Amino acid sequence: MNQNQIKKLVDKIVENIFFATAILSASFIVIIVLVILERGITPFITDNDGLGQVNLLRFLTGVVYLDGPTFLSNAYGIGYLIISTLYNAFLALILAAPVSVLTALFIAKIAPKWMGELLRTIIEILAAIPSVVYGLFGSGVILDLVYDLSLIAGVQSAGGLSVLSTVIVLAIMIVPTMTVISEVAIRSVDKSLIQGSLALGASQTQTHFKVVLAAAKSGIFTAAILGVGRALGEATAVALVAGSRRSGITFNLFDTTATLTSTMLLGMKETVGLDYTIRFSIGLVLMVVILLTNLSLNFLKRKVGRVNA
Amino acid sequence: MLKRLKLRKLIDGLLQILTFGFSSLSFITLGAILVFLFNQGWSLMSPDLVTYNFESDTYLASIERFDDPCNCVATVELDETFVYSEKWGLGVTEGLDLLGQPSISLSYIHPDSPFRTLTNKSSVGPEEFPFLKEYLISKISYNDRSASFARRGAARLVSDLESSNSIYEIEVTTKGGGIRGSLITTLWLIGLTLIVALPIGIGAALYLNEYARSNQFTKTIRSFIEVLTGVPSIIFGLLGLAIFVPLIVQLTSSWDEPATGGNLISGALTLAVILLPVIIRTTEESLKVVPNEYRFASLALGASKTQTTFKVVIPNAIPGILASTLLAIGRIVGESAALIFAIGTIVRDEITLTDKSTSLAVHIYSMMTDEPANIALSSTIALIILGIVLVLNLSIKFISYRFMKGRLGAQVH
Repeated sequence: MNQNQIKKLVDKIVENIFFATAILSASFIVIIVLVILERGITPFITDNDGLGQVNLLRFLTGVVYLDGPTFLSNAYGIGYLIISTLYNAFLALILAAPVSVLTALFIAKIAPKWMGELLRTIIEILAAIPSVVYGLFGSGVILDLVYDLSLIAGVQSAGGLSVLSTVIVLAIMIVPTMTVISEVAIRSVDKSLIQGSLALGASQTQTHFKVVLAAAKSGIFTAAILGVGRALGEATAVALVAGSRRSGITFNLFDTTATLTSTMLLGMKETVGLDYTIRFSIGLVLMVVILLTNLSLNFLKRKVGRVNA
Repeated sequence: MLKRLKLRKLIDGLLQILTFGFSSLSFITLGAILVFLFNQGWSLMSPDLVTYNFESDTYLASIERFDDPCNCVATVELDETFVYSEKWGLGVTEGLDLLGQPSISLSYIHPDSPFRTLTNKSSVGPEEFPFLKEYLISKISYNDRSASFARRGAARLVSDLESSNSIYEIEVTTKGGGIRGSLITTLWLIGLTLIVALPIGIGAALYLNEYARSNQFTKTIRSFIEVLTGVPSIIFGLLGLAIFVPLIVQLTSSWDEPATGGNLISGALTLAVILLPVIIRTTEESLKVVPNEYRFASLALGASKTQTTFKVVIPNAIPGILASTLLAIGRIVGESAALIFAIGTIVRDEITLTDKSTSLAVHIYSMMTDEPANIALSSTIALIILGIVLVLNLSIKFISYRFMKGRLGAQVH
């Protein structure tokens, strides 16, 4: 072999090594889906070491997490968790959306340069704070605030562990994500649109709200989709402020709540048995919930976009 | 007309106030978080925190010369900071332990004091050990009088000591509430995760940017990697629990200390999967800034594709690779949900790679889910984590502006 052939051979080998790492990286999502699918289905198709199959319909619609003692019962139900997970996430979105959109508008169009830069840095710091720290902040500050609020409102509250606390913590956590993406969308609005609006005699503020925000609608929607996705999947922070509700659907803001994720974290001690495997089923449901939410919001986004065009 | 203009101005003003008010919320939130953490956690911030164990050990010990008071005059100047028992050569201070409970600690011991060497009465721990300054005294019992307890204060303890001629036993505890173990676990996690994730991530980025043809297959690979960013970390935890934990249990079954459940290595592997898309994306961004002329020049001079990649492309992409490493470290330090599944939530002081332990973030979770929750120490750890994250983010920003024309931008999880 001459030198050229060796070079070619080395090139081929190196390329294949890089190719293998790329394939490996891409394969993890497939592995995750397969593993969770396989483990998640197990409780419904095996007899779970004598406990009997878990009833799929009851699992998906039940309002009691576990009817009977742990490891002795197969009567799991997470219907109420699916509803409260979605309820919490969307309330958080409603709270976070105006804050993030207006903050993004302020940074991109209104604020003087130094103030915008400062605010952006603050948003970046907030985005980098780990979720467990938000959970700590939630249980040290938000719980007390909500508890005081419940006293003023004259309603029962379990020391502040409630839907409201969960929603506030989630909203605080998704504001940075949504702000950053909305800001990019607002910045990329065509200058001629803005100039056109101003030339027609609209005021600066009118232009911001009626032209800029309308034109950035699609990007803001993307921000909302990412925000909801993050809220649905958040675990540790929620677990510290939700109150691990074991049964019953509630829409009362001061009632305790639980989400799919916070329930998965509960009592992670055993690594055998149904109480362990059922977490994979909850994980599977969580992934389906996130996927469906994503698809329907994307569908909505296309509809909204079309009306605009 | 004028009326409408006035109304317009009023509405505009209100909207401006609304915008400004909402924008200030982020500022207020960050301020509130910092005030809360400093308020709760600053008092426990000390160098001891990182060197001490979390669990305190209690030793019940006797002394050999139990009825031989030394009557030793202090060799240091007696000041207000401690109370000194001349009879037994023991100086003690009242204070708070790392968990914030009142305690009495040893602050001075005379060279001739009979307390210098303690004989352990219980079966665990060392048989004989020196009385060190980091020990807290919880109780001293005497043969000739009733026992004295730490909660009654240092002055009372010393006056009890002065009135006794024969010591029965002393109960000492090591200072607990330190985060040494969690810090070591976090460092191990950073090291192991980067060793696994960096080569794979950089390799994949090189393939996608330097080698891959732009076809449907490459697009699929890209989108598969991209989807991974949207997966919640608790799902990665399930992956670790189902794949990596059993894998490590099997691989280490012949080791001295085989893994039996969640362990540090499986935690690191789980983190590596979480970080792959981050590392790939950031590295790719840095590869894109390397001008194509460099590649053409290298190839035109007769270098092979491999030589070009390793000697021209990678050296020029080093800032980006460094940035992705820092980004990865930030994520490792902050990650909690996935690690709760892959390593567990048991705070340990002696760290082995094949056993459960907690990173700093999971240490917070573990203490916050305990009854009662330890908000003070949690806040201290949170301050440490925030410090690390802040330094990392500033470095990334610097690298991004200095070397990559700001291409990294804001990083959104």
